[in-house]
Amino acid sequence: MSSGKIISIHSFRGGTGKSNTAANLAALVALAGKRVGVVDTDIQSPGIHVLFGLDENKMGKTLNDFLHGKCAISEVAFNIGEKAIDAEGRAKLAGKNLWLFPCSIRGREISQIIREGYDVNRLNEGFQTILKELNLDYLFIDTHPGLNEETLLSIAISDVLIIILRPDNQDLQGTAVTVDIARSLDVPNLILMVNKAVPKYDFNNIKKQIEDTFKASVAGVLPLSFDLADNASKDLFSLRYPDHDWSKALRGVADVILAVK
Amino acid sequence: MSDETIISQLKKSFLFRGLPDKVLIELGRKATKRKLAKDAVLMRRGDVGDSLFMIVQGWFKIVAEDANGNELAINQTGPGETIGEMALLDQAPRSATVIASSDAEVLELKQDAFYEILDQRPDLAMELIRSFSSRLRFSTTYIQKAIEWSQKISAGDYSFIENTLTMSQAEGTDEDKASQLLSAFFQMVHNVKDREDQLKKQVENLILQIDETRRRQEFEEITSTDFYADLKEQAKKLRAQRAAQQQNEK
Ligand SMILES: Nc1ncnc2c1ncn2[C@@H]1O[C@H](COP(=O)(O)OP(=O)(O)OP(=O)(O)O)[C@@H](O)[C@H]1O
Ligand SMILES: [Mg+2]
Repeated sequence: MSSGKIISIHSFRGGTGKSNTAANLAALVALAGKRVGVVDTDIQSPGIHVLFGLDENKMGKTLNDFLHGKCAISEVAFNIGEKAIDAEGRAKLAGKNLWLFPCSIRGREISQIIREGYDVNRLNEGFQTILKELNLDYLFIDTHPGLNEETLLSIAISDVLIIILRPDNQDLQGTAVTVDIARSLDVPNLILMVNKAVPKYDFNNIKKQIEDTFKASVAGVLPLSFDLADNASKDLFSLRYPDHDWSKALRGVADVILAVK
Repeated sequence: MSDETIISQLKKSFLFRGLPDKVLIELGRKATKRKLAKDAVLMRRGDVGDSLFMIVQGWFKIVAEDANGNELAINQTGPGETIGEMALLDQAPRSATVIASSDAEVLELKQDAFYEILDQRPDLAMELIRSFSSRLRFSTTYIQKAIEWSQKISAGDYSFIENTLTMSQAEGTDEDKASQLLSAFFQMVHNVKDREDQLKKQVENLILQIDETRRRQEFEEITSTDFYADLKEQAKKLRAQRAAQQQNEK
């Protein structure tokens, strides 16, 4: 078994920015010289592959194949540092140790796995195998919103759980439940991250209120950004625009992850 | 141009506002008519000015030059307006260039003609001094107010604003540029204050509210399943294994 860390990126509600955050954090950590994997466990609505420029043609074996017992997890690994450096931001990852484990984006395969289900234990075995075989320092898990079984699994086995929320009362309610679950499952490191904060608010005030509410630390408050939305998940924003406020705040979050013992 | 038109036109200038109509008519008669073709220069910035112009018809643009010497229209003026009245009293150079933007006609009143009338009617000098001192007081009051308000703003006190708006509206009828500028400035301050208030309100609105009953219910729903119990057990084992592993590595 490896001593690499599992970092789950989760949010109770959808569209908070999990996939953008997971992809950019993984890239920043890989840029820092670490060996990094990213698994998309959002089987029902995969998204993170877009940030790495993968489409149906480029995609080879997927997590679905592994979960159906059709291949080994190592065959799913897509080497980003070699095969996805076709955009300005991603180009900075050339030669870095970063692998993506994508889900199938074929409608038929998605409906099949939703219909038939799969063994979450196998998913867990997959995580452990990846950590070991690729000798990873960090394995990032992008999740489906809500608290379904594979999400509960990824929370249960994570060393670091990053819960993303928007400064919005609906997000808060769900985040409260997730925080309780994470504590009940003894997740060793619980980190909150606020995304899509409207810039006119006082970010320090938001941070403080949320920390007080959940008694957990907020690693960053990231602004709602037109530029980021305009990027439309086509490239790794924090690599392409390192001086942008969103990117700066995300580097703060990456530093927190790198500092976890 | 009729006498009435001349009277009403001259009265727009603070200089002539207090003068009797008879005098204004006389002044008007001493003025000479000038026609200008489009693009003709009425006055150039820096020229020594010694006459006032009343626009009878046509339009003029007031231009400045930018750093590269390009012409920059900063204002325009037309029929019924008066240009350059201060030149009747001092010989200061013209402060801007004025160019006809269409064919135009003006009445020009020379300084000499103005002085002639002043010689004949010394009482007018008194009237002029009165106009000047009231204008001076007006400006000084504004400057004093501006200083006072600036100090209050920097101390975070915006309480004077409510009175300001009515005041600058009332005095805005006076075509005094300073009053317009100040009024615009304090309107801006007002907006900044509104925004600040808004911001305070929104940050307060963000007071986060969690329905604790619902929170407990949802937590129980999720954690009461067999799946969850298993998961918790497995996760515990897994963590223990990994801890042992890390112990061994050391
Ligand atoms: N800070 C931000 N400012 C503006 N737009 C953002 C920001 N963060 C993310 N977005 C945009 O919001 C959308 C959702 O982002 P993303 O796919 O990363 O979220 P998600 O949580 O993974 O969504 P889902 O729950 O559907 O998987 C995308 O269009 C993304 O470009
Ligand atoms: Mg996503």
